[in-house]
Amino acid sequence: MNKYKLSVKEFLEESAKGNINFLDFADCMQKEVEQINKKFHFLREICNIKDRLYLKPPLNGLPVSVKDCICVKGVESCAGSKILKDYVPTFDATAVHRIKHQGATILGKTNQDEFGFGTFCTNSGYDVPKNPLDPLRSCGGSSGGAAGLVAALDYPHIALAESTGGSITAPAAFCSVVGLTPTYGIVSRYGLIDYANSLDKIGTIGKTVHDCALMLSIIAGKDDRDQTSLGERKSYSIEKSTDLKGIRIAVPKEYFQNLDKEVEKHIWDAIKKMESNGAIYEKVSLKNTNIALIAYYIIATAEASTNLAKYCGMRYGVHKKLEGNFNEYFSAVRTDGFTEEAKRRIMLGTFTRMAGYRNAYYLKAMKVRTLVIDEFKQLFNKFDVIASPSMPVLPPKFSEIKKLKPVEHYQMDSLTAPCNLAGLPHLSIPVKNRTPIGLQLIADHLHEEKLMQIGSVFEKIR
Amino acid sequence: MIYMKDTPTIKGMKIGLEIHVQLTTESKLFCGCPNKFTREPNTYVCETCLGFPGSKPRLNRKAVDYAIKIGIALNCKLNPEMFFSRKSYFYPDMSKNFQITQYEMPLCNEGFIEINGTKIRITRVQIEEDPARIIHIGPIEHAKYILVDYNRSGTPLCEIVTEPDFSSPQEARTFLQELSSMMEYLGVYDSSIEGSMRVDANLSLPKNSRVEIKNISGFKEVEKALNYEAVRQNILIRRNQKVLRETRGWNADSGVTISLRSKEEEEDYGYIYETDLPSVTIIDKANELRYDIPEFAKKKTDRYETELRIGRDMALAITNEPDLAEAFETVIMTEHSETIDPHLAAVFFSKILKKVLNYENIRLKQTGIRTEWLINIIKRIKNKEITERTAELLLRDMVLKPQDPDILLKLRGLTRIDNKNALEPIIMNTLKENSMAIIDYKHGNKEALEFLVGQVMRKTQGRADPVTTRKIILDKLDK
Repeated sequence: MNKYKLSVKEFLEESAKGNINFLDFADCMQKEVEQINKKFHFLREICNIKDRLYLKPPLNGLPVSVKDCICVKGVESCAGSKILKDYVPTFDATAVHRIKHQGATILGKTNQDEFGFGTFCTNSGYDVPKNPLDPLRSCGGSSGGAAGLVAALDYPHIALAESTGGSITAPAAFCSVVGLTPTYGIVSRYGLIDYANSLDKIGTIGKTVHDCALMLSIIAGKDDRDQTSLGERKSYSIEKSTDLKGIRIAVPKEYFQNLDKEVEKHIWDAIKKMESNGAIYEKVSLKNTNIALIAYYIIATAEASTNLAKYCGMRYGVHKKLEGNFNEYFSAVRTDGFTEEAKRRIMLGTFTRMAGYRNAYYLKAMKVRTLVIDEFKQLFNKFDVIASPSMPVLPPKFSEIKKLKPVEHYQMDSLTAPCNLAGLPHLSIPVKNRTPIGLQLIADHLHEEKLMQIGSVFEKIR
Repeated sequence: MIYMKDTPTIKGMKIGLEIHVQLTTESKLFCGCPNKFTREPNTYVCETCLGFPGSKPRLNRKAVDYAIKIGIALNCKLNPEMFFSRKSYFYPDMSKNFQITQYEMPLCNEGFIEINGTKIRITRVQIEEDPARIIHIGPIEHAKYILVDYNRSGTPLCEIVTEPDFSSPQEARTFLQELSSMMEYLGVYDSSIEGSMRVDANLSLPKNSRVEIKNISGFKEVEKALNYEAVRQNILIRRNQKVLRETRGWNADSGVTISLRSKEEEEDYGYIYETDLPSVTIIDKANELRYDIPEFAKKKTDRYETELRIGRDMALAITNEPDLAEAFETVIMTEHSETIDPHLAAVFFSKILKKVLNYENIRLKQTGIRTEWLINIIKRIKNKEITERTAELLLRDMVLKPQDPDILLKLRGLTRIDNKNALEPIIMNTLKENSMAIIDYKHGNKEALEFLVGQVMRKTQGRADPVTTRKIILDKLDK
């Protein structure tokens, strides 16, 4: 029997009262994590919990897992890539620095698609994590290890995750946990191993909206080391939310095309429940939805192809025997170090920014991005949130994923890419306990508190 | 080998320059590492300038201010805001295999300066980061491997691009000298740092392709490389051969340009926006900095000549170095002007002080010598308390160890001797030791007198007043 089966809230209360034997807690948890990991591969690196226990309020040693792409000083951080094997950062990411100072215990580095390149966590350079609800299915990606661990581990724990185009929402939905992707910039990217700089957002995955709000309160706020960071450091409160009276919800019809029937049914049920709790919903149209996905992939790959240039077997990560000239050497390192998907995205991204194509692809996509943002902004003049499914499908089986063409794979991001492209905060909440379908709620920039208040009410009435 | 010392007279030559200058900010462009030279490799480095995964750049606003000043001085149109871009190419000196530079919206465009009556148009001025330094083990052709020193990685560079408005290599060199001096007056650049100015020069002859010569250090070398290139292209044309559109390198040791790559092999840099850095508003700062632009060497020299009636050579010697000019102007400022004559100050600065500084190969600002000490020395010369020779000795000591001349004078007892009683015994001794010179003098050799005066000066370490000494010697000899 697990005597530490506590929610984060309960853990904080009990530990404040001095009711927790931390050494025993650490031992039990360590065993449990290692056991789970053998079966599911959620963590690429497990820390020694006892060594890292940091009993300081307000978190009082609360275990937090960190996605592999977020640097932790002294802990190998690979962003899921073999090319970064042995890279041990000399510094903490700002988000990690902040949670450490609030008394978090770093649990380990969670597995992911290499550099975030994927929706199913099958593109990891290491082991592929499995869905805790059904090990034959994907746990979603790219923050798959983070969401899987939150779902599978019956211990108080919150995950630090990251989304570029849907990497928090997708696994949160598939693993039936809560995923929060905040407004672009409110969590410092300092220490985040880049996928696409203008899109990357550190966020959090937890069992409840409360857990996400707690984590955001600690990690959000301007940081001098990331000049794109913004916002004040404040506490995000969800306590006052009791009902959804007067909340205006937009339901864009473009987000309901080609849906799995079960997903569609559950999402409409969810919207109806919100309506019966006082919310008003209206069907709307977001015409730029389809081009948003295209623009997202152009911008993301263009930026990624430059970010990945630095991996050449010098200074850190994988080194090979020095042979041939510089070009031959780094080509050999990159040939072995990157997965096929990373190579595909480097080629796509390099193509879209080449002279002669740059205007037609990269610069055009940047213009589309502005249109997408404007369209969302107009909607928020009238609505508090946008509601949609998180993913168009149920978690696919690994055997099904193998058959997907790259474009089909990319289309899985059609519901998450637009709000990520616009840098809007969004939340994925399971429509029911242990059901791998997420309700995605999107709010206007910097409206995380309202978003989480609405989400937390839905959590109670679902 | 083709080499011509003088500018070849080839008609219709068009030369354009791309100049990279290191800005002398305290820290690097995108991190807090010191922007200084050190012999110990890879010591002034951090995760950002090493391009470690997870690091982010943060812009040093001082570097932007420095570049804005350059833009203003070059009469450029400053853009209301600017942003950075990534220029991608693989090279071992690049910590990220892309350089953060500017592309779509640089700091400023469309400027000009006049060089000897010719207007040189400036295309653009932008800010970018310097890559690391590559050290070859042995000669480049035979080096088995290279070493990379990241101390230079992330040094702020200002790139200045001109239109092809120069019609001779010599004109290009004059422009670079002028530009260098202007930037030193702006306090944003130090020409004494090795490799602080690197130039890409392009040259074309009428109806022929343009050739670019990459990475030339120093303006003398630029002129040499261009001279070589002009002659090379001219010979090709006379032989009815085609000048290929290509990029060449300058080998300063052998004095030739070598083909690096043809136009077809040019890399595609695939520029994208650097979204780690928000766009920077510059218009307000520019309006503020406009008042910080100093008077430059050319104008200063003219003013010294016309207003202060100082000879052109002396004026040039002073205005050549901004810190010298600044100290000079402080010395002759109104409050001292009753006691210090500009002409005397000019002689002191251009002859005595400059001689000492040149001898020690040091800049005035690096010595720690205070302006009030210089005033002290000039006043003592004026009041005939010390000789010019003594002043030089004092300055030598001060350059090695900055200290008050009053203390030095006491310590070394270097005050001027013009007291007849004090001088006479020394002179008598000198005459005794140099009886041959006396004979020479009596036979009509006037130089023998100068020799004797010199001997006395030597014995007194330059403290003897030359006029008095000469008078006493003459008295003795004519007896």
